[in-house]
Amino acid sequence: MPFIRDGLDAGEPVLVLTAVSRIDALRAELRGDAGQVQFADMAQAGSNPARIIPLWQEFIDRGSKDGRPVRGIGEPIWPERSPAELAECQWHESLLNLAIDPATPIWLLCPYDASALEAGVVAEAHRSHPLVTEGDHRRESGAFRGLGGSAEPFSVPLPAAPLGCRSLAFGPADLATVRATVAAFAAQAGLKAERKDELIAAAHEVACNSVQHGGGGGELRLWRDHRSVICEFSDHGRVDDPMIGRRRPSARSAGGRGLWLANHMCDLVQIRTLPQGTVVRLHKRL
Amino acid sequence: MSLLKGAASGEQPMAGWLEGEPMYTDRQLVIRHTVPTNGLSFAGTIDVMNADQVASALISQLDQGLPLHLELSRVEFSDVSGIRAFVLAAECADARNRIVLHGLPSLLQRVITVVGWADLPGLEICSCSAG
Repeated sequence: MPFIRDGLDAGEPVLVLTAVSRIDALRAELRGDAGQVQFADMAQAGSNPARIIPLWQEFIDRGSKDGRPVRGIGEPIWPERSPAELAECQWHESLLNLAIDPATPIWLLCPYDASALEAGVVAEAHRSHPLVTEGDHRRESGAFRGLGGSAEPFSVPLPAAPLGCRSLAFGPADLATVRATVAAFAAQAGLKAERKDELIAAAHEVACNSVQHGGGGGELRLWRDHRSVICEFSDHGRVDDPMIGRRRPSARSAGGRGLWLANHMCDLVQIRTLPQGTVVRLHKRL
Repeated sequence: MSLLKGAASGEQPMAGWLEGEPMYTDRQLVIRHTVPTNGLSFAGTIDVMNADQVASALISQLDQGLPLHLELSRVEFSDVSGIRAFVLAAECADARNRIVLHGLPSLLQRVITVVGWADLPGLEICSCSAG
């Protein structure tokens, strides 16, 4: 709260991305000043954590035109996040260090509810944040992996796909088969028509990436868990840009839209580049 | 109903459109001239396999100094490179011969917005579109 008050007193734009319940509490506490703070529901806007960096980027571009400082609060992690979502939130938190130009006058606070989250989650937060505050005490995080290490989680393998899942090797001539395979699996899993089409659109773009940049093709794997259909593409390509899919494409740019689209069509997108190639895992909630 | 399919996913184009001769055909797409509108109708799939040919087909129709109207209600699937074919053609168009998209399936309309092509000067999305 003092963080928001200080920002308002200094005339700085303030954006708070958190859960609705916390937004309501902050609004009540801010009373007449609540109108000066921008709020967004993290559960909606940042449900897929890969959509959060573009929100910060837009806020910075709008708010700090004249070099004016801006400040924000972002709370992407809550106890109900699934393990895959949590991994991506942690990756997002680490990437934020790389995404925002260090010269940008932004002061970003990422609250962690240490009483509700597991100790490992809080320990990872110490590795992804340069400064930590506990109570009123702010200090440098001794565990911070630094800007140089902020891309490290990109090369940590994902948990293996389940044995016996539906799989299909594909090449340049098989894109229609990839779409049909995803469509059939998604329909059988019970994904509703609109959401199924969104998954197909995303899957097609990722398959195209494998064909164009991943050695001419790849392998599709499909399975489901209790909450989502999961559609995985693996190929022999390398992704060198950890920010891929998190920069709003400009109208003029030729490429760079596939994973951006996937992030907006899916509930979660996991990308890892390993020595043997790249894996992209799309999650679409049932 | 599938969002990938437009308003008229059957055999016929939308009401008010009459089809003439095919001007482009491949394994997954047929483009026909339409009468009386200065336009083209699309049926099938536009993707990375035929996007270059679609862009060339569109650009070849742009030299008539009139808006080019595209009937898209029977596009079963278009990927980002397919949409980019429309964008490339729109970039070649000027104020007189802009490209107008009709019957755009609602998912495609969303994709165009998400990838940042909804406000190009040469590309207009008609309100008759599905979304």
